[in-house]
Formats: sequence, C-alpha cells, structure tokens
Amino acid sequence: MNNPSATFPPPVASSDSAAARATNVSKIYGHDDSEVRALDDVTIQFEKGHFTAIMGPSGSGKSTLMHCMAGLDSLTNGSVAINGIELSGLSDRELTKLRRDQIGFVFQAFNLIPTLNSKENIVLPLSLGGQKGDDAWIDKIIDTIGLRDRLTHRPSELSGGQQQRVAVARALASKPAIIFADEPTGNLDSKTGHEVLNFMRKAVSDLGQTIVMVTHDAANASYADRIVFLKDGKIAGEMIAPTQDRVLDYLKHLGE
Amino acid sequence: MLRLSLKMTLARKGRLFLTSLAIILGTGFLAGTFIFSDTLNSTFDRLFSDVFKDVDAYVRSSSFVEAEFGGEQRGSAPITALETVLAVPGVQAAAPDVQGYARIIGKDGKPIGADNGPPTFGGIASASAAGLWTIEEGRLPVGPTEMVMDKATADNGKFALGDTVRINAQMGSREFAMVGIANYGDVSSPGGATFALFDQPTASEFLLKPGFVDAFLVQGDGTVSDERLASAINAALMPGDKLETITGAQITKETQDQIGVVLGFLTLFLTAFAFIALGIGCFVIYNVFSITTAQRLRENALLRAIGANKRQVVIAMMVEALIIGLLGSALGFLSGIGLSRGLSSMLNAFGIEIPTKGLTIHPNRIATTIIVGTIVTVLSAILPALRAGRVPPLAALRDTALENVGSVKRRVTIGVVAMLLGVGAIAATAAGATNILLGIGVLLVFAGVLIIGPGIAKPVALGLGRPIEKLRGVTGAMARQNAARNPKRTARTAAPVLIGVALVTAMTVFAASVRSEVRTAIGDQFKGDYIVSSANRQFGGLAPSLAPELAALPGVAQATGLGFTSVNLDGSGKFVFVIDPATASGLITFDMVQGNQSELSANGILVNDSRAASKGWTIGSTIEVAMVDGTKKTVAVEGTFASSGFGGSYVVNRALFEGTLNNLFDTNIYIRLADGANNDQVYNALTAATTDKGLGTLQSRDEFIDAESGQINQILGLIYGLLGLSIIIAIVGIVITLLLSVFERRREIGLLRAIGMTRSQVRTTVRWESVITSMFGAIVGVVLGVAMGFVLILILADSGASAFSLPIAGTLWILVLSFIVGVLAAVYPARRATKVDIMQSIATT
Repeated sequence: MNNPSATFPPPVASSDSAAARATNVSKIYGHDDSEVRALDDVTIQFEKGHFTAIMGPSGSGKSTLMHCMAGLDSLTNGSVAINGIELSGLSDRELTKLRRDQIGFVFQAFNLIPTLNSKENIVLPLSLGGQKGDDAWIDKIIDTIGLRDRLTHRPSELSGGQQQRVAVARALASKPAIIFADEPTGNLDSKTGHEVLNFMRKAVSDLGQTIVMVTHDAANASYADRIVFLKDGKIAGEMIAPTQDRVLDYLKHLGE
Repeated sequence: MLRLSLKMTLARKGRLFLTSLAIILGTGFLAGTFIFSDTLNSTFDRLFSDVFKDVDAYVRSSSFVEAEFGGEQRGSAPITALETVLAVPGVQAAAPDVQGYARIIGKDGKPIGADNGPPTFGGIASASAAGLWTIEEGRLPVGPTEMVMDKATADNGKFALGDTVRINAQMGSREFAMVGIANYGDVSSPGGATFALFDQPTASEFLLKPGFVDAFLVQGDGTVSDERLASAINAALMPGDKLETITGAQITKETQDQIGVVLGFLTLFLTAFAFIALGIGCFVIYNVFSITTAQRLRENALLRAIGANKRQVVIAMMVEALIIGLLGSALGFLSGIGLSRGLSSMLNAFGIEIPTKGLTIHPNRIATTIIVGTIVTVLSAILPALRAGRVPPLAALRDTALENVGSVKRRVTIGVVAMLLGVGAIAATAAGATNILLGIGVLLVFAGVLIIGPGIAKPVALGLGRPIEKLRGVTGAMARQNAARNPKRTARTAAPVLIGVALVTAMTVFAASVRSEVRTAIGDQFKGDYIVSSANRQFGGLAPSLAPELAALPGVAQATGLGFTSVNLDGSGKFVFVIDPATASGLITFDMVQGNQSELSANGILVNDSRAASKGWTIGSTIEVAMVDGTKKTVAVEGTFASSGFGGSYVVNRALFEGTLNNLFDTNIYIRLADGANNDQVYNALTAATTDKGLGTLQSRDEFIDAESGQINQILGLIYGLLGLSIIIAIVGIVITLLLSVFERRREIGLLRAIGMTRSQVRTTVRWESVITSMFGAIVGVVLGVAMGFVLILILADSGASAFSLPIAGTLWILVLSFIVGVLAAVYPARRATKVDIMQSIATT
C-alpha cells in the first residue's frame, strides 16, 4: 500500500499514527445488581489509512465502543483520543466541532436529511461549519460514488443503496481523520450492500481515508484490512487481511 | 376498547397537557368573562340593596326620559309634597333626597375622584329617620354655606371639621364650611363614590332647582305592608305634582336592572372577545389533533391490524378528545378565576374603574364553561378522528408523519370561490343590504383564506425563507425547508396568528382612519382659541353659568357652551346637543345643508340630514319633544346639517329648556380671544376661572384636537389588550406544533447533532422555522386586516373611502411584533430540540 498521507494529508497534522485510540475504556450501565458492563477495560487503536471492521455477537459492545470513540457517548472509565485530541474534558460545543471536522458517520438507516438534496447532504458537515470545502475533493467523491446525475434529488427519490452511498460521501466530504460506519449495509440487499462496501474500500485504498465499520456479517467484514472481535465487552481477538472463510471459522470458534 | 382508549390517553401525559393548554386558555377567558360580569353584577346588586335597605317606599316624579344607552333621566319632585307624604297614615318618617352632581375639590386644588370613575354626588343630610345618612362627627349642615362630607372622602382628602371646601355643581363653584362627617348606613362610602351633603334648600338650589328634590324616601311605622303603604301614599299625592310611589323593593330592583343594562353592554363586549379567543383555540386544538393523528399512524395501523374496526379507532380518538375537553375546560374554569381579576385590572388601566367585591361563581357558569369547552374540543377532533379511522391496517411503517395536502388546485378553487362570495356579500352590505350579510361575508373571506392556506403555504414559506437562507446559510436553509415540508401543518399553525393579526390590523386601520376623521371634523367645527372641557360625559359637567362668566373676562371676545341632554323625541329618548346660537356663531360650526345655525330659535331644532331624510322631515316640519319633567313642547325643523365629528343627530337652543326642570350642563366651552389680546394674560385669567377651581380642563385648540382624536387610542388599547389573549393562544399553538415537530424529527436532529450541528445551530433552525410560520400568518393577516379595515371604514364612515388612512408605522409594528412572537414561541421547543439524545435517536430499531 502506498503512503496515503503523501497525497492526502489529514486535516490536523499529528505525529500520532493512530486516527483513533481508546485506552482502558469501560462503559457501565446501571449500578449494583443491575450493572451491565458494555465495555470492560478495552484498549485499542485504529491506524490511519486502514479499513477496520469490528465484529462480535449482539450485546458484545461493538456499537457502544464505536459510539464512545466517536464522542457520542460518555465513558465510565478510560480515555479516547481522535487524531491525537483527547475527548475527555471537551465541552459539548468542542465535541460537536470535533465530530463535524474530524469524524465522519455512516449509520444503518436514516442517514440523510429528507429536506435537503444529495449535494446539500454531502456538504452538510462543511456547511454547518461555515466552510466551503475542497471542491476538487468533493468532485472526486461524487465521481467515485457515481451519483453525479442524482445530485439534485431528495433522499426520498433515491434507492436505499444510493442513499447509503450519499451517506458515505457525506462522511468523506470534510476529509475527516476517521469515519465510523455502523452496519452501513444492514438495510440493503447483498448486491447493493457490496456496491457500498466496494465504495468504502476504494475510499481507503484510493483516497487514503480511515474507516472503522461495525458489522455482524462475515462477508462484509472481509472487505476490511483488519478485524477486531469483541465479546462481552472485551477484545476477543484480531485478524489481519481477513477472508470470508477465515472469519466464519473464527466466529465459530468465538461462539464456543 | 373504551378502557384501552382511556389508557392510551393517559399514557401520553405530555400530549394530553399540550392539547389541554389550548382549551384551558380558550375556556379560561370565557370563564373569566363570566366570573367578572357575575361579580360585577352582584357587587352592584348588593350595593343598591344596601342603599335602599331601610327604604319602605320611594316617591318620585312620574315623568322621565330614557337615555339612548340604558338608564333614564327622571323629573324632579316639588318639596311641597313632603307634607302630603308625612300625613299619610302608616308613614313614620320621610326624607327628601337629591342625587345631583357635585365635585369636591381637594386640598391640592384638584377635583377628587377619577373623571371616569365612580360618581361624585351631592345630596341632602337630614335629621329624619328616613334619611340615608347618619352624622358620625360634628353636626348637620344648616344654611347655604355649610356642608357635610362622607367619611371615606374626608379621610382620603384629609379634610377636618371647620375646613373650607370648594365644590363644583350645576350652579357653579362655591365654597362651604365643613361642619360634619357622615356615614352611609354602616359603610363610610358606597362603591367608592364621593358625597357632598347640604341641607335641603341648599341642595335643591345648588344641585337642582330651588324648591325641588329628586325623590322622597319613606319609612313606614310597620303597621302596613310596603305595598299598601306605597298605594296609600300614591292615593294622597296631588295629581298636578306628577309623582308616583313605589316600594323599596321595587326601586332596588329597578336600579339594579338599570345598571344591569349598562353592565350588559360591557359583558357583551368582553364575551365577543372571549369567543374570538375560543375560536382561535379551536384551530390550535384541531391542529394538535391532526398532527398527533398523523404521528400515531403506526399505532392506529397496529390497532387495525390486530382487529379493531374503523369505528373503534374513531371512537378511541373521540374518547381522547372528550377526556381532554373535560379536563381542559375544568382547568380553564379555574384559570378563569384568575383571569377575571386580570380583566378587572385591565379595564381599570384603561380608565374604566369598576368596583368589585369578592368573587361570584355561579354553578351554572361552571357547567356552561365545561360544556362549551368539551363540545368545542370534540368538534375540533372529529375530522382528525375520521382521518385516523381511514388508516389502512397495513399502513406503511413510515417514520415521519407526513400528511398529504390533497389537490392544491381544488383547494385554491374552493377557497377563491368562498372569498369571492364573501367579497360579494360585503359589497352588498356596502350597497345597503343588512349587516348580517356583512358578518357572513367576513366569515366567508376568512374561511376562503384558511382553505387556500395549505395550498400556498409551501411557496410562501419558501419565499419567506429565502432571505433567511441567505443570512443564516445551512441552518436557515433547513428552517426554510422544514417550514415548507408540511404545508398543511404550517398553514394550520399560522391560522391563529393570521386571525389575530387580521383583527389587530383591522382595528388599527379603523382607529387611524377614525382618528384622522375626528381631527378634520373637530378642526372644521371648532375655530376658537381655547376650550374648557369636562371629562364627565355621563353625569354632570360644567355649570351653565360658566360660559357667560368666561365671556366677560377681559380679552375674551366670545365664549359659548356646548351641552347635551336627553329628551323624548319621535317616540323614544334621544340625545340632543344644546347650544346658544347667539354666542355659538363662529365657534361651533355645524355643517349646515339647509337653514342657518345662528338663526336657531327657542322653539326650533336642527336635524342631521340623513336622519331628516329617513324621517321625511323638511324645513318647517314639527316634532313633539318631551322634557324630563314631562313638559311637552313642539319644535319646528329650522335646518339640516351633514354628520359631524361631534356625533349626534339633533341640535336645539338652550332657551328651549327655560322654565323646565331639565338638568343642563355644558361638556365643553369654546373660547375666542379678542383681537390683540395678550394671550398670556387671558390664559392666566381663564386658568384662574376654571382649572384653578377644579373646573374642567383648559386646552388650546391644538391640544384639544389632539386629546379628542387621541381618545380612540384608549379604546384601541383596550381592544389590543383583549385580543392579547387570542395572540397568546396563537403563540401557544406555535409552541405546541414546534414541540410535536421536534418530537417527530428527533432522529433527524440526532443525526444532525452526530455529524456536527451545534446546539445553537439546532436552536437557530427551530427559531427560524417558527419565525417563517408566524410571518406567514402575519403577512396574510395584515393584508386581510387592511382590507377589513377598509371595508369597515367604507361602511361606517360618513365620508366613505376618503376617510381611509393606512397607518404604515402601526402595520410595520404588527409585523415586527409577529416576528418577535415567532422568536419567543421557538424558545422552549428549541431548547427541547437541543436536548434530543443523539444515542437514542440514531439507534436503529
């Protein structure tokens, strides 16, 4: 793989090679008898220019980990840094600004604002920050998702796959340090799902972006460079350069 | 199913509360009006039953003139009849009574009591057991220079025995020695009125006519019933004295009824505004039900899927409406108690001082409020409930509640047809049809606008939002799109604002036009330099002797008084202007169509030309006029005049009343200075003769014209105040809609927050959506209001459309205030929007 930072430098220069880092993170819901440890002393880091998948059975804490690292949810213990910026101690305003400038999001469904058209949705984080954005970059994204002829359409006029592609484009628009994708293909049939995943893969390989994706689907996970397995709020294992078969094997073993 | 709907209703406490709020406010005003008027009535009822508590029989003149707006002016009784009354068997005591106008001048030189406040009476203090007053301190007044004051006024004015007190009454301004302080039965002063009391000859001479009193109060010896006593006295009275006797109970009832008529006008006025508020509340209720029905699409679809039929879904909705209606109106009645106090202080603030004691709550008013409130709620819920019933069992599991607008074209067509019909009806009224048609026309126009509303809401909201988008960027763009995304909802939310603003604008336009017309009319009719005016329009005024007194001052070339009184004319009591044609020339100028004002004879009358035309009177026609004391005179029409800023349809010569017992006061005295007179010197002399003695208000011509045309502002202020509650309901309507929209869009807001929208940007979006909605209502409302104001002027003003004047500043203010309304309404919903939990809203279900 070529060095992505040569062509696409991250927006905030940082000597840290990690786009995101979690250190001894715990997330506990409820207390005493009803206490649930969603995350139990998790330490992990996501390298720049990598596509990482987080897998695990439901209730394993994979979504919680993602939300905590994205600054959407608070921690019970531990610390999280995005692009070298420590999240604890940030005000709501600073955290919002961080999400806007440094983080991209792709959710399973309801990713787009129904009253805005595709183009407006794509540049929304930039507009919210009062920024113009990098036109050439945005052009490039639009060409990559292949929806140039759909730019003035509202989300309701797009198919599910098209909507998710617009969502990924939106996540990329501000050249964030990291993109978090939560089951981005969960609502799509497998063919359109693979279109979206291909596009995400391209964003990492060709555009040098960093993506962390939560999924429970082995086929989806095999698009990633690395898979992190979670079980009962703890990291259960890792796999580099996965294939669908190896993932299925591992999951079988994990389930025992 | 009933149990289920009850459970479902109670499970949504927030929604229950929001919907109830509109009903609480709407019914609250109605209940407040009820309670206020009941309290008012019972206060006066108690007052008069206290006043006549010890009166067994009441002897008074049998001739009277009914005043045009309730009440009556009655003739006087000769004091000589007292002997006759005292001689009737069964009579233990009888006391003469006078209720004249007497204004006590305070130690600071200013008249005591407010100009439009409780009356200022002059009366008789007598030793008779039948008299109303008992001396608390000092002694009874004797002779023409002594007086007694009621205790409350003496205390308030810090008067003590031996003080010299100046009093203004019909016969002028005089000074008296205060020799006593009196109590009225058990109370120091009934109803906040002031009383100056004299011996009978002084009271008669100073307040009325020598030798006459207003009535005799009779106390029986207990041997016969009041009815028998009254008929015995009646039988003994001289026919020539034109007197009649009624029982104490009768005079109590009569007085109560008379005040009831006057209070009835006030109540009617207030009730009209209460119903406007309730109508606007209706819209809010309808809107809330419509939105919640759309939001409950899934819930209702689920109910249908598991076996509920259409009827059951509709009934479930109606049960909810019923519960909310009952609950809301019950709470509304409670808030009405507080609002009734608010009404009282508001009227006070606008110079209508009304004494109320305690709180009168009739159980049937509670029932009426709850029934009206519940019916209104249930009716407002019918359409949304029927819509809920039409939800197919397998309704799309859509996330946002979108309501379909239906055919825009059909909507606009129906709306335009309704408006055209309305305009037609209004035009017919302007051409002379009945006023009922005017009401129907206005309603049709409103209905038309409201029907068109959803059809135009989208383009208008987008248009209004354009500058906001330019100004605020993406948050503005989202606000703009949000306001336009659900045109029906936006239109329904804007409707209460529209109605409120239309009414306020119409009143503003109407008032501005009337104001400018009054200015012109007064300017045309009054050409002097100074004017002395009395604010006491209903009771008392300036002594008729004052005008000649002022005319005699050095430097004054001319002074003439203008008064009015009631006479029986053409079958009923009428207000007539009383002028002195000899001195009025050049100072009071009626716009004569025929005849000559200065040649008005003692037995002549000038009539408004349109009145004369409708009655078929021409120059030389004779009209019979009956005075308060029963004197009948025949007057001849000597001229006709075009309608004037003074109002009124008849003008007579002061000499007409010579020898009759009519109470004559002047309300205004117009003054012209001699050529070359020293303005300052004359002004000082005039001040000394008038305001220094507490007589009226001295103003230059310009000041007077300003004051007169400004009076309309006071009424306008009151109307604004009463419409205020409707505006509050409109604001509440926006608040509720925004809250429901925020609730409905919480996923969207969560997403926006996740991808980097700050809290203040969330607030901005909600705020501008609110402003677009309120401005939509305001702009349409202003257009409608200006049109309504124009129609009102066209129909009511004598000079027609030329009187129309558009108050540009006032209209702009209304728009600015509507903008502020939008901002204020968004405060709470915006805060709620920022509290949306990102985690919860983006969690996929």
